[in-house]
Amino acid sequence: MSSTAQSRSFRDLVDDRVDEGVFRVDRAVYTDEAVFEAEIERIFEGGWVFLCHESQVEKPGDYWATEIGRQPVYVMRQTDGSLGCYINSCSHRGAVLTPLKQGNVNVLTCRFHGWVYDRGGRCISIKNEELGYAAEERAGGRFDLRRIGALDSYKGFVFGSLRSDVPALRDHLAAAARWIDLLADQARDGLEVVPGCSTYVVHGNWKLQSENSVDGYHVTTLHSVFAATTAQREARDATGGMGRTESGRIRGKVPSGTYDLGNGHMGLWAQHITPHVRPIYEARAWLEDNLKPAEVDWILNRGRNLHVFPNVMLMDNPSTQIRLVKPISPALTEVSVYCIAPRGESPAARAARLRKFEDFYLTAGMATSDDAAALEAVQNGSTGPPSQWNDMTRGLDALVTGPDQGARDLGFEPVASCPDWEHEGMFLGFYRAWLDRLENGTGVA
Amino acid sequence: MSADGIDAGLEREVAALINREAMLLDRRRWNEWLDLYAEDAVYWAPAWASEEETTTDPETQLNLIYLKNRGRLEDRVFRIESRQSWASLPLDRTVHVIGNVLVESAEGDAIEATANCIVHVYGKKGAATRGSRYDFAFRRIDGALRIARKKITFIDDRLEGPVDIYHL
Repeated sequence: MSSTAQSRSFRDLVDDRVDEGVFRVDRAVYTDEAVFEAEIERIFEGGWVFLCHESQVEKPGDYWATEIGRQPVYVMRQTDGSLGCYINSCSHRGAVLTPLKQGNVNVLTCRFHGWVYDRGGRCISIKNEELGYAAEERAGGRFDLRRIGALDSYKGFVFGSLRSDVPALRDHLAAAARWIDLLADQARDGLEVVPGCSTYVVHGNWKLQSENSVDGYHVTTLHSVFAATTAQREARDATGGMGRTESGRIRGKVPSGTYDLGNGHMGLWAQHITPHVRPIYEARAWLEDNLKPAEVDWILNRGRNLHVFPNVMLMDNPSTQIRLVKPISPALTEVSVYCIAPRGESPAARAARLRKFEDFYLTAGMATSDDAAALEAVQNGSTGPPSQWNDMTRGLDALVTGPDQGARDLGFEPVASCPDWEHEGMFLGFYRAWLDRLENGTGVA
Repeated sequence: MSADGIDAGLEREVAALINREAMLLDRRRWNEWLDLYAEDAVYWAPAWASEEETTTDPETQLNLIYLKNRGRLEDRVFRIESRQSWASLPLDRTVHVIGNVLVESAEGDAIEATANCIVHVYGKKGAATRGSRYDFAFRRIDGALRIARKKITFIDDRLEGPVDIYHL
């Protein structure tokens, strides 16, 4: 451990004395090498992480290469339509097997020495096997690829764990599952990941991404320039319909809130003041005919950011996004963003969704780039021991234990509800879950 | 005329325009930069769809930037000049170096050209060198050549720092 955390336990990094009005987090959680190593081992390699969306591995033989912590893995759609996820490393010398990030294959052939694996990870051919191995060594299964410990999918969102002793995925997701429903159930014909991805590197700790995804408090400052830019654009161009941006929502005050959804998951929502400019609005009649009124209200009228602990954000705000977070080092995080959209939406809605995405979300966009700069400034400002603590007590007095009315209407059980997206009560749940995982070492809830 | 039938004077004019755009961006002469664009200009930087292919249809696929008229470029300048964008203050320093300019076709007042650009960027996190391939369409408006379309194939993935009009 570095000198800042040398003599202290993980517990000392979270000063949790809510009864006394204190909740603060040591900024060493962003900078300390030993903390980072423990996070990789116990959180990213010790429990459920998001892998991909099922539309990215749709047909038999489709594979998707990613990582769980440091371990390369790939998800493969099996010939029978089920999903498998394998250690992406040749049994012989360890080379990564997938030639590309995504593809379709009958078999994966290691390009180093020519060993061949079928879709189910079985080693079905070893080059010149009879010349190198005695007959008794050629027993089946010895060189098959290892499956990861656990693999499951919830409404098309695929999660995996290297360890097998983890709770069921549905239990891990806790109240976050209901928020995934809101994204998945709005699409009559299912969701699809739209072609095109952007990956960017932020010089800041991965948890800053988690915090930022549900931090409504920064919006009226950091993104006021986004609101000003789009407002002058729309005045100049007399923009109408789905081309409009809700700049008034960014600058002003609208009904909003955040939730501690359990197991480190967090949600943020804010009321749309002009829901008819949203691409999903064209599906209103179908939604009203097929979903409960509270579900329709939550889908159409509440912009939502969901953070599923520890590595993915599912956004349904100006546009719809999967944001995948990969920690590289304490101060370096790789972020990959994808647009996810209802299959079969109108061409106008799809184009509007993409333009809103590009406007706001990308590092080439006009808001996420400012977020990245802000998070890097936090990282830079967190390196000196004299500035030790991040206070997270904003709105603590207003924090509701359990569900508020909105949660009861929709039917989910948050650990706690915050009545204002500028409050910080959801961070209590995040850092308590984080500490629990570091101290207990597994994803067991 | 050059060997491929393109007028040498036109080739010089096209190269001068591409070089001028780079100079104006590096020197932050935003209004003169905007003047190089036609009112209905399209400014397009596709995203990568895979390791080998960019996206090809902005109406159905994701892009880094896709702006459909000059006003959208003015928005970028508005944001930079506001001094309120954290990603743009301090503004990265840039040096664009243009090369391989080729006029591909010239049909009346409609001209298409390709070029390469290396941009050396220096900012808060140090220096980076990025590469782009340009596909330009030009149109002659009131006698002057203007940019009708700039497609930037930004070859870098895994981007460090912001990507804005002055980086491309």
